[in-house]
Amino acid sequence: MFLARRQRWQVKRKKQDEGHALRRRLVLLRLLTVLAFVVLAGQLWRLQIVEGSRYQQKAEANRLRLLPLPPQRGVIYDRNHTILARNAPSFTAAVVPADLPEDQQPAVVARLEAILGMPGETITRLIDERRTQRLLFAPVPIKTDLPREQAFILEEHHTELPGVSVLAEPIRAYPEGDEVAHVLGFLGRISAEEYATLKDQGYTINDTLGKMGVEYTYEGLLRGTPGVEQVEVDVNGRRVQALSTRPTTPGANLVLSIDLDLQRAATQILRQGMGISKFAAAVVMDVRTGEVLALVSLPTYDNTMFGSPARAAEVQALLTDPARPMLNYAVSGRYPPGSIFKLITGTAALQEGVATPATRIFSPGVIYVSGWPFYDWAALGSLDFQRAITMSSNVYFYYLAGGYGNFVGLGPDRLARYAREYGLEEVTGIDLPGEVGGIVPDSQWKLATTGEAWLQGDSYNFGIGQGFLAVTPLQMARAAAAIANGGEVLVPRVVREAVDHQGNVVLPLERRVVRRVNVSAEHLRTIREAMRQAAASGTGTLAQVPGVTVAGKTGTAEFSKLAGSREHLTHGWFLGFAPFDNPEVAIVTFVERGRGAQDAAPIAGKILRSYFEQVRPR
Amino acid sequence: MREGQAWRNFDGVLVCAVAALVAYGAAMLYSASYAGEVAFFWTMDSPVTRHLLYALVGLGLLVLVARLDYHVYSYWSPAIYLALLLLLGAVLVAGESIYGARRWLDSPLIPIQPSELAKTGVIIVLAQYFAARQANIKSPRTTLGSLVLAGLPLALVFLQPDLGSAMIFAAIWGGMALAAGTPLLHFAVLGSLAVATLPLAFTHLLKDYQRDRLLLFLNPAQDPLGDGYNIIQSEISIGSGGLLGKGFLNGTQTQLHYLRIQKTDFIFSVIGEELGFVGALLLFILFAVLIFRVLRSSSVAPDSLGRLIASGVAVALLFQVFINIGVNIRLLPVTGIPLPFISAGGSSLMSTMLALGVVQSVAMRRKPRHRFESA
Repeated sequence: MFLARRQRWQVKRKKQDEGHALRRRLVLLRLLTVLAFVVLAGQLWRLQIVEGSRYQQKAEANRLRLLPLPPQRGVIYDRNHTILARNAPSFTAAVVPADLPEDQQPAVVARLEAILGMPGETITRLIDERRTQRLLFAPVPIKTDLPREQAFILEEHHTELPGVSVLAEPIRAYPEGDEVAHVLGFLGRISAEEYATLKDQGYTINDTLGKMGVEYTYEGLLRGTPGVEQVEVDVNGRRVQALSTRPTTPGANLVLSIDLDLQRAATQILRQGMGISKFAAAVVMDVRTGEVLALVSLPTYDNTMFGSPARAAEVQALLTDPARPMLNYAVSGRYPPGSIFKLITGTAALQEGVATPATRIFSPGVIYVSGWPFYDWAALGSLDFQRAITMSSNVYFYYLAGGYGNFVGLGPDRLARYAREYGLEEVTGIDLPGEVGGIVPDSQWKLATTGEAWLQGDSYNFGIGQGFLAVTPLQMARAAAAIANGGEVLVPRVVREAVDHQGNVVLPLERRVVRRVNVSAEHLRTIREAMRQAAASGTGTLAQVPGVTVAGKTGTAEFSKLAGSREHLTHGWFLGFAPFDNPEVAIVTFVERGRGAQDAAPIAGKILRSYFEQVRPR
Repeated sequence: MREGQAWRNFDGVLVCAVAALVAYGAAMLYSASYAGEVAFFWTMDSPVTRHLLYALVGLGLLVLVARLDYHVYSYWSPAIYLALLLLLGAVLVAGESIYGARRWLDSPLIPIQPSELAKTGVIIVLAQYFAARQANIKSPRTTLGSLVLAGLPLALVFLQPDLGSAMIFAAIWGGMALAAGTPLLHFAVLGSLAVATLPLAFTHLLKDYQRDRLLLFLNPAQDPLGDGYNIIQSEISIGSGGLLGKGFLNGTQTQLHYLRIQKTDFIFSVIGEELGFVGALLLFILFAVLIFRVLRSSSVAPDSLGRLIASGVAVALLFQVFINIGVNIRLLPVTGIPLPFISAGGSSLMSTMLALGVVQSVAMRRKPRHRFESA
């Protein structure tokens, strides 16, 4: 009984123990629950409270974007305020790589090819370029200046064309055609290298910028200041709302010194007059201010094809054209000036006392130095200074430049000094890109360049603008202006002034004189008089303008010998100014494979006629 | 036991906690799917409407299940076990493939995720097994048997592949074995075995994407735009929420869709961003109340079967909550486990409601209170 009670107690005790053990396990589960939530809350505290501000910055960086607002580019006018370059509203077909799944790309490109009528490889290349650059969210322009119907078709089918969008972005329009292309230049898409250096100035990967002409030179003024818009974007980069904006400042407008009517007339006259020549140039410059009224280089090109990827083939053809239409021959081409250089030789000789207006020299048609013949174009007989220029005698200027027998000439170094004073070596500093300087040789130059000593014959060639000497048409136009205006060498410019969007003149009309040539007014008068006679009765008669006295000088510069012939290939030049009494404009015309009197002079005459009959009366 | 007395023991606090969680979930789903159009929320396409509807049906199921004595379920446990093995097998053969994993069965009404239903089934089956072997609980044979019982469905789920659900089965087994009184030595042995085979499991058992997820957890920056993306973005979402959050519907990460999978696995990130630390704590409190009420049912259960069922449900709930939130706050690698009551998804909600119905059935049949005993 006692034992039994004891046993029962023990059994009960054991059961109770087991119950306690199991209850302890439940307590363990409760503890685990509490522990789990404490751990979670602890980590949450670390993320949200301790490091909260860091994550807030990351979240802000996710949703906020600073988008550049493109400024409105300045308008370019001619001197009479005719619009030469403006911004035209237009549609651009673009592709956002991030929104175009790569497996769908071939199909989409094929459809774009059909709709836009441009090669599919071009489209693929444009998109893939950005893909490799990892610039996935910026739209890739495929075709600018989209015809309205194509824009509509794209919009209509946008569900079948993922990633394709139609952007309304202004394009640069040049309404006055290719006659002003060399002066205006064009805009092009920013290149990868340009973007790398310019992105700090607010340029974007899709920006266009001036690549040639005044569009290039005055990029900084024309562009304006981009604004910035802070926007909230979703995960796909789509803008949700604008948060703040810093407005854009429009670019300044340019007023060119170019007179569109004269430019156009000069282009047409030069085009007709150049015949089969591959290239030609003409410059008309105001001798009082340095303003360039017309600057023509032929062939010219269509400057509206740039910036549109769809016309890349045309651009490529233009770049490989053997006539090099994109080269501005007026500022970038360098050629021997021929006889128009005699004016420089002449003033140098007068100033240095090598000759006087009365100096008479006999031209037998050819003179010999060390057995080498140096020809005149005819046996002109006895000539004084004026007649030597009028008749363009070579022998006369052989004497002045290199001497002969007892006659002491200028020699290369003195002549070179005058050539440099007229600005034939340095660049003129015109506000156009790509300008080159001239080559003005002297004894040192020859030694350094060819390793040979200067010969008397070199002086002869130098004196008549042949041999090593090479200059640009613009340099000669400036020299002509200096002769006409009493010796001031000016900085030529094609932009008269720049006016910002509020009407303030940010770049005023300014006359800049580089130097005054060291030639007395009297000697310059002598030369001018000689030029008048040359145009009136000499080689330059074809440059005459009814009712206006023109002064001028022709040049026919030899540059290579025809194979198997004594004839030389020549470039034709004319240099002049008008009116004689009160000079307003200087003119230089240049025709490749032409002749001065027959080709360059009549072209100059017609251009001057256009100036005096149409432009000036206004 | 009379019917009236049973309903008097119906756990109202538990149901209130469930209702509060469902409402919380509906609100967050509203935010996660908000697109500025309110009309959308009155159609069946809206996850909010569906969530509330599932919850309503689920509550009905909860009451229905609670009515029946839980011993009935244990009686049917072999059939339940067979059924869940068949369902899990079927999903492997005929399941709907999403992201390369077969997890769903298409049914006329709603797509069913058998692994969700299997959780409740496994709890009942294991409870029945352990309860029947309380006398031999210290025998290794008992432990091994239970391992096989839990291991079969675990393996089937793992083959889908669904590592998350497989881990839940493991957790359920662990919690219930603990509650059943399995000797701690058995846990120690099994634990060391598991640790010893871990490297082997990592290289041979896991799929490539599962391995990648583990590696990405260590360094999400190695693939910031791919699989590492959401790990980074959920962290940013939660961290940027701060103490009070950015405000309902004002989470930039959520509303601008920087955060992905925000209606299901990463809905906690929405809470963290929009309602902040305080909102998250509120959620923790609701979950803690719920789990403690379930554990209370466990302690007042009239027998081992009831006690074990309730413990299993409590552990399953706790584990899912911990894993899901742990993934969101970068404590754990990504595993696709929904947050109970909050994430969108009918199967998970129904299954949890069913399980809570069984727990209610236990609570309603609690052992007499002490004062009645002494009276």
